[in-house]
Amino acid sequence: MSRSLNSVRSNWDWWLISIILTLMLLGVINLYSAAYNPERTFLFDIRALYGKQIMWMGIGIFLGVVISLIDSEFIRKLTPAAFLVVTFLLVIVLFSRPINGARSWLGFGSFGIQPSEFAKVSTALMLAFLIGQGRIKQIAKKTVFQVLALVFGTMLLILAQNDTGTFLVFTAFFFVMYREGITFDPIILYFLNNLLGLRYKSTWVGVHFIPVLFGVIFFSIITLYFAESKHSFYFLPSIDVPGWAVLVGIMTVLGLVIALFANQLSTARAKRRILSVVLVSYIGSILLIGAVSFAYLKVLQPHQKVRIDLWLGKLEDKDGEDYNRNRALAAVGSGGFSGNGYQQAVLASPQSNHVPESETDFIFCVYAEEWGFLGSLLLVFLFTALLVRLIMIAERQRSRFARVYAYSVAMIIFYHFAINIGMNVGLLPVIGIPLPFFSYGGSAMMAFSVMFFILLKLDSQRKDVLAT
Amino acid sequence: MNLEGRRIVFLVLFILVSIIYSVRLFYMQVIDDRWIARAAEVSQKRIDVKPPRGILLDRFGNKVVANKTYYNLMFVEDKIEELDTAALAKLLGLEYHQIGERFEEIRLSLDRKTRSKKSGNDTVVNDYRSYMPYAFISELTAEEIAGIASELIYFPGFYEETVSMRDYPYPNGGNIFGYLNEIRPHELEKDRYFYKMGDFIGRAGLEREYEKELRGRKGTKFILTSARGKAVDNFADGKLDTFALQGPPLQLGLDIELQAYGEELMKNKLGCIVAIEPATGEILAMVSSPSYDPNLLVGSRNIRKNYVELNADSLKPMFPRPLQAEYPPGSIFKLVQSLIGLQEGVITENSSFPCTKSLVGCHNHPTAQNVQQAIQFSCNPYFYYETRKIIQQGKDKNMFKDAEIGLNIWEKYTESFGLGVQLETDIYGLRPGVIPNVAFYDRWYGKHRWAFSTIRSNSIGQGEVKLTPLQMANLAVIMANGGWFYTPHFVKSIGDDGPRPEFLERHSTMVDAKYYPIVQEGMRRVVNEGGGTARRARIEGIVVAGKTGTAQNPHGEDHSVFIAYAPFEEPKIAISVFIENAGFGGTWAAPIASLMIEKYLKREVSDTIKERRILDANLIIP
Repeated sequence: MSRSLNSVRSNWDWWLISIILTLMLLGVINLYSAAYNPERTFLFDIRALYGKQIMWMGIGIFLGVVISLIDSEFIRKLTPAAFLVVTFLLVIVLFSRPINGARSWLGFGSFGIQPSEFAKVSTALMLAFLIGQGRIKQIAKKTVFQVLALVFGTMLLILAQNDTGTFLVFTAFFFVMYREGITFDPIILYFLNNLLGLRYKSTWVGVHFIPVLFGVIFFSIITLYFAESKHSFYFLPSIDVPGWAVLVGIMTVLGLVIALFANQLSTARAKRRILSVVLVSYIGSILLIGAVSFAYLKVLQPHQKVRIDLWLGKLEDKDGEDYNRNRALAAVGSGGFSGNGYQQAVLASPQSNHVPESETDFIFCVYAEEWGFLGSLLLVFLFTALLVRLIMIAERQRSRFARVYAYSVAMIIFYHFAINIGMNVGLLPVIGIPLPFFSYGGSAMMAFSVMFFILLKLDSQRKDVLAT
Repeated sequence: MNLEGRRIVFLVLFILVSIIYSVRLFYMQVIDDRWIARAAEVSQKRIDVKPPRGILLDRFGNKVVANKTYYNLMFVEDKIEELDTAALAKLLGLEYHQIGERFEEIRLSLDRKTRSKKSGNDTVVNDYRSYMPYAFISELTAEEIAGIASELIYFPGFYEETVSMRDYPYPNGGNIFGYLNEIRPHELEKDRYFYKMGDFIGRAGLEREYEKELRGRKGTKFILTSARGKAVDNFADGKLDTFALQGPPLQLGLDIELQAYGEELMKNKLGCIVAIEPATGEILAMVSSPSYDPNLLVGSRNIRKNYVELNADSLKPMFPRPLQAEYPPGSIFKLVQSLIGLQEGVITENSSFPCTKSLVGCHNHPTAQNVQQAIQFSCNPYFYYETRKIIQQGKDKNMFKDAEIGLNIWEKYTESFGLGVQLETDIYGLRPGVIPNVAFYDRWYGKHRWAFSTIRSNSIGQGEVKLTPLQMANLAVIMANGGWFYTPHFVKSIGDDGPRPEFLERHSTMVDAKYYPIVQEGMRRVVNEGGGTARRARIEGIVVAGKTGTAQNPHGEDHSVFIAYAPFEEPKIAISVFIENAGFGGTWAAPIASLMIEKYLKREVSDTIKERRILDANLIIP
């Protein structure tokens, strides 16, 4: 017992704790401004949002402390039960009364919880439990289907709630699968070998399916964004070069540069491999740019193009369709270099309320307007540091269970950070998910606290387990 | 498979996204100004602040035109939530169906016809915007809003707004002050800076004439508004704001008590009283009868209700008779004729003409031995002969050409008396009257087809000569001053800056001052000596000088006219009284003038029998 306590004390990851406490502190300070209620100025006033948020934080930390008293092996063993409980709640919530079109709230009197927030933790644990089983085989059909069934099953329940943001967050787990080497080969090979009669043992696309998939999405969006634009270059004075041609040009240059570097630096075997990857990527991206451009420019009806342009922010409809995002961007952008000062937000202040949802999804607007670029940069840095630290923690785990869990936590945080900030700075469409520790929300606050305490606990006992 | 290496994919992804976001944030927040402009566009609002209009004070400092706060019940359609129509109707004292009708009415009132440039077809465009505020009910009094305001919390989207409107502590002087009404599109075009649709603008009287002074200086306030359009804070701590400045008070020469007394005396009579301080040209009272209470035309609600009614009244209470009614002056014009005759040298003080009633009718009186007596008796034949001497001076052998020369001379003299020309006074709508000249008669009879005998009625203020009552009063001023006048005006000081400069400019007649005492003596005798035509104008302790007139009216009963000034030695008030269809000038006009003079000089009237007689008289012929 004394050994265990000692290890608990000595093995906490103080870096992680410091970053999280800093974010929590900043979050409360910011919420005090974002939800400032002149009639309830006391920070701990339970009737104001900040008072409530602190209460949720307290409950979250209390739950975390309770969890940190549980042995990590016991946490692992509790996982299926916890997962079942949360999944049960996810089913129950589908019969609740919809709020803002989504059935995501389970009400207990005047308080409600969102099971979907806890589902992130329980799914992360369950995924770790599944992959962490000693006997799992990475390329087995069964493994892929088990994992996909787990993730897709939960996602379907979330989708049934009509909660797009959280639904998207669950795709974070595909990245975790990628880290663990669980390939999509069994599915791809099934089609290739059985239906087309080929005899592949593995495919590059199957192995790197997730990065490739997201690369394709990324390139498609870039192509849509630039397909129609016209560019002129000083060396081609009288010609307007269409955007898609510019993209092809950039890809060609990029491909050549990488190929040249590879030629210089690598051994013969690696060279061939890199060159073939570059060639395949190049041809693939050119085909992709061509296909997307053709579809966008020639196939789509004008009104469909308008929808896409609005979604991409190429068209402005600042007082209609685009109202929320436009006001949010104006708030962020008007922050300037050093901001308007604490509680000096003009657009995002709770009194003026130009930015909708400025306590929850758009809370970054308040922060960015008041703290300016300096504050925003600090926030981005803190989250990046948190993410990098999470990867470091994940990679030092001996148990697969802990590593998968740590990666899941990292990817969940990354999704929240990237989507939330992305929509606040106009790089992503409006998708409603909270910014961890900043957005007001009891369930998210408690879920994130619990999520980190479990990780801290697992990490603190990483030396107690044998490598799996 | 080297799975540990895949951590690089994650780290690269995280760091790449962070870099992209940092660059994007730097661009948005530091480099691109567009969002600052956008934020300003969204949140900053420029509000014009209109000051309350300048007030009007009478010569003793009494407020005669003041301001009062009224309330508009405003709404913004977009902000109305689940309107309880029944409750609102009950609160406002309306029928259930009227609520919906009112919304529809507001919407329809913003229909605007536009003509397509291409097809030339008219199309109707509606300017109603659901995010803009409109007045559901306007101009509620403080008492009316009191019951409503406290309930408005149950009607989101509705709120109250204060408006400053006119208030008249005295129910008098409607035709002097004029009224305010909503600006018309063509007026709006002229001054887009100051006015906006729905603003009130001076529509008649002094309100119209002094619009620029009374409206004051518009202030501008820059505020930060909330998404609901509510003011949240001042922009830049109000450093850019300019204050609205109320227009300066106009100090009038008007004596509101005298005005009220005059209106009282003129009850049941048609006509006018104009009283002027001779030394300054300040108008002391200007009664137009019948008149109206200016409070009837405060605000568009009242105007809608009362304007049509006032306008339809056959007695025309809104018609400013002292300014716009052009009456034959009758015998008071003999004063002008005698002065012109004396100056031209066609008569002397002691000229005498026989009262030959064959030429023109007269009443029984001794033969006038001199000008004084001619005025005292108001002898018609005397002035017939006298005026013939002015017109037919024998400067040309041809009688017709001679008359033309004479009339030209005569016209110049009358013009110097402010007759037949527009006096540049400070109230809107003054008419010039009529002094017939050569061109006038040439047009009428033909060149060289007329001579004195054709136009002789003018000798005694009949015929084609027409004067406004203000000109008549100014004639009394000229008599009182002995040959000069300041243009009659209402405003003796704009704030503390004095009157408009043109009112400090003294105008002299073409008749030398030395001839005036002769006529003044005649006027004194009119009132104070036996055989004078205006013995009813005598006042205990005050010497009044005056001249009666009985303007023949081809359409009915003669008009009763009287001009006077007092005290004789040191005139403080000059007055004209004109009563339509009241017969002989001495009977009604003279006593009314004397009551006004006494009221002004002594502040109270001693002869209550005379007063009672006037108050009881109903001289309106049905």
